[in-house]
Amino acid sequence: MPDSPSTLSGRRRLRQGRDRLATALVTAGGIGAIVALLAIGLFLAVEVMPLFWSSEATETVSQRALWLPREGADGAVQYRWDPTATLPTEDVARVSLVPLAWGTLEAAAWALLIAIPLALGAAAHSALFMSTRLRSRVKPTLELMEALPGVVIGFIAGLVLAPWVDRHLADVLTLLILLVPGLLLASGLRSCLPPRLQQAIPLSWAGLWLLPWLLLILAAAHGLSPWLEAWVFGGDLHRWLEVRLGLDITVRNAMIVGMAMGFAVMPSVYALAEDALSGVPRSLAEGAQALGATRWQTLWRVVLPAASPGILSAVMIGAGRAVGETMIVLMASGNAALMTWNPLDGLRSLAATIAIELPEAGPESLHYRLLLLAALLLFVFTFLVNTLAEWVRSRLRRRYRRLGSGR
Amino acid sequence: MRWAFGSRARRSRREGIGAWLAAGSVALSLLALLALLALLTIRGLGHFWPAPIALVMLEDGRQLAGEHVREVPLPEGEGRERLYRTGNRDLEGSRWQWVPVSSITAVSHPPDLVVLERRRWGEAIGRLTSLQRETGERVEGEPAWAALNARLAELASLRQARDALREEIILPQVRPLEEGDEAPRLEAANARLRELQAAMQGGHLILEAVDGRRLEVPLEQARRARRPNGMSSLEKLVAWGNGVWRFLSEGPRAANTAGGVWPAIFGTVLMVMLMSILVTPFGVLAAIYLNEVAHQGRLTRLVRISVRNLAGVPSIVYGVFGLGVFVYGIGGTLDEWFFDATLPSPTFGTGGLLWASLTLALLTLPVVIVATEEGLARIPDQQREGALALGATRLEMLTRVVLPMATPAMLTGMILAVARAAGEVAPLMLVGVAKLAPQVPLDGDFPFLHLERKFMHLGYHIFDAALHGGDVEAAMPLVYATALLLVLVILVLNLTAIFLRHHLSMRHGALAR
Repeated sequence: MPDSPSTLSGRRRLRQGRDRLATALVTAGGIGAIVALLAIGLFLAVEVMPLFWSSEATETVSQRALWLPREGADGAVQYRWDPTATLPTEDVARVSLVPLAWGTLEAAAWALLIAIPLALGAAAHSALFMSTRLRSRVKPTLELMEALPGVVIGFIAGLVLAPWVDRHLADVLTLLILLVPGLLLASGLRSCLPPRLQQAIPLSWAGLWLLPWLLLILAAAHGLSPWLEAWVFGGDLHRWLEVRLGLDITVRNAMIVGMAMGFAVMPSVYALAEDALSGVPRSLAEGAQALGATRWQTLWRVVLPAASPGILSAVMIGAGRAVGETMIVLMASGNAALMTWNPLDGLRSLAATIAIELPEAGPESLHYRLLLLAALLLFVFTFLVNTLAEWVRSRLRRRYRRLGSGR
Repeated sequence: MRWAFGSRARRSRREGIGAWLAAGSVALSLLALLALLALLTIRGLGHFWPAPIALVMLEDGRQLAGEHVREVPLPEGEGRERLYRTGNRDLEGSRWQWVPVSSITAVSHPPDLVVLERRRWGEAIGRLTSLQRETGERVEGEPAWAALNARLAELASLRQARDALREEIILPQVRPLEEGDEAPRLEAANARLRELQAAMQGGHLILEAVDGRRLEVPLEQARRARRPNGMSSLEKLVAWGNGVWRFLSEGPRAANTAGGVWPAIFGTVLMVMLMSILVTPFGVLAAIYLNEVAHQGRLTRLVRISVRNLAGVPSIVYGVFGLGVFVYGIGGTLDEWFFDATLPSPTFGTGGLLWASLTLALLTLPVVIVATEEGLARIPDQQREGALALGATRLEMLTRVVLPMATPAMLTGMILAVARAAGEVAPLMLVGVAKLAPQVPLDGDFPFLHLERKFMHLGYHIFDAALHGGDVEAAMPLVYATALLLVLVILVLNLTAIFLRHHLSMRHGALAR
């Protein structure tokens, strides 16, 4: 016997000891990492506390100052964010977070207004109509789009797109008007073609062959815009907007932010919505088509209702991203804390304010705590939205399992 | 056959307008992406191509020479105007000139126009009239151009020798020396340095701007000279390659509006490497704990969902956490304990490389945890049970069976984390990125890696040069190039992750069958 029972059990004990040690290490490391991660919310909450509890802070920052409007010098109701200004005449600091929250939500709303139709349309097309070969190329491409850094999109939006749109406002408007009819014209023209040619440009590849058509629409918009401007807006859209509608126009405005952030948010909404749509059990769609529904009817009546929770959760994730995006808003909006409905005026978001002002605010100061409160708001909002989206998604997954096994 | 055709055609007609609008939104997204990438590529790479210099005659008899930048319509429909980059900032007060198109009578591209890059005042554009050598000899006309090029090459090699001497011999010796000590080798090196400096002095050239004014430029001030109008395509290609190389390898000049981005590349790469060293072990440990060790109960599920959701928390919030906890909290305490002598100027109590890497590690921790957990969950339980049934302990089962199978998933997680971290700028603005950091955080000085130093970052460089530069017009081409570089780095990283994930799903797809 080469191994006596005593050395065997000794080696066994060594192995078990090593195993126990490793398990303890994994547990410690794992719990440590997770606790550090979860500590973020705790840290923000603890640091913000003194704003509400300490007597010294509540004197200068009352709840009223944070959330309610105050009477301005001219008697008008106003919200102001200007925490560094210390005017001797004012006893309460101008620290209303309302304009910042407004700017954040406004930017997110514009972004979603652009991202949702694009993302859902693209998701529906690629889940139901697109050829498998094209889909296996387009999906990763749009996933790559998600990885484009915000600072690059912000740079293009703020320094290239914004001045261009400012010069070609009428072009953009014409493009908006022409886009939908132009696409429908493409489908109409195609159905007039002989069947052989129609087969050469099938709907399943429309994502690609519509690209040159879109360029044509763009060129048409550029060509038609002077006419539109001359006939409808008396020669100058800028002046028309300023004089007739009384709008202030700034170069870097909410619409630019919306366009850029819509572009940034669109891929993540698309990816989740596409997963939800293509995850619908095939038996449902096949049943509908067997009963004579077109693919669009199948999508609208069968697939979309089945996948609606997933789509809702995709939209919520998109909203979470849009609210927290910093660099795009920072570079593409004017960072003026305004509260207007005007999409051509600037805005200032919570995230951008933190990025600009926190390095200057000393630790433990009132300004620092206010900015931490802003961060806490962002944290709570995105965390809640994401949790809700996750909950909806997990319910959806259970529903699919039921539907899929029901056949 | 005809019947089949007809039915298909009828069916696609009946798809309705929604289907076409959906297709249009795919096309629109792709178009936007392509336009963005094309814009970055064309503007970013085109800047380094030697542009022709136009000699413009104006109505009033004036002349100007410069690079055509762009043409825009004037307001109120009063025609168009062109922007020329004319250089000669010391003569004109500005590098740019706007000219109404209607006032231009003729544009030509004479081959003898010289673009001279100088160490101060930027470019000078004009005709080379004469050159005085360092020996005092004067050269005029065409031989002056050859003499200038010869001298510039000589100066470049002298400069290189000087920099090498300074970096490799003098600085390493100066640091350990206390004042008062003198080393004979250092003496010799200093003497050689003075010799090199002296050899660079002397001589000047005279450049005549097209309006007849003369610029006298000392030769040691000149960096490069070229005559773009007379260059062949091959020469231009070589010049373009050199330009790209200088952009990648040199430091920024003139308040980040000129020069290269080497320190920013270095800072980005170093920070991302430190971050991945920090995040990978902890992310993998946390994933193993959640998936293999922890009791799979309600609490674990809650923690898992929270971790997943933390991936969606805005990056700026992580930046705030990093500033409050790492910089002010831990950094401030470290300063009180170890760097009492230098207070109140902070050492670790201000943003720096270490804190930036830690913050980004925390930011990307959920990414790594989620990706690794997905990989672990894909491994069939039979594999684990088989290993345990053969008498392996849990550690052996993990290290010999489970982890090797989950390696691609871990790599994917790490690469996705790196790609996310490389593009993230907002949190860095709070925890340690700098507009201009002349010293890179890695050098020959003990302890070699300076974790407390601030560093430069490609993304922040874009932000800063685009929004805070003095001359945004001059900075724009470089910002395009930097943005292109950043996008390329991130695309390559993401493509690697996608490839790995594909490889992973192929492998486990085969395994599950």
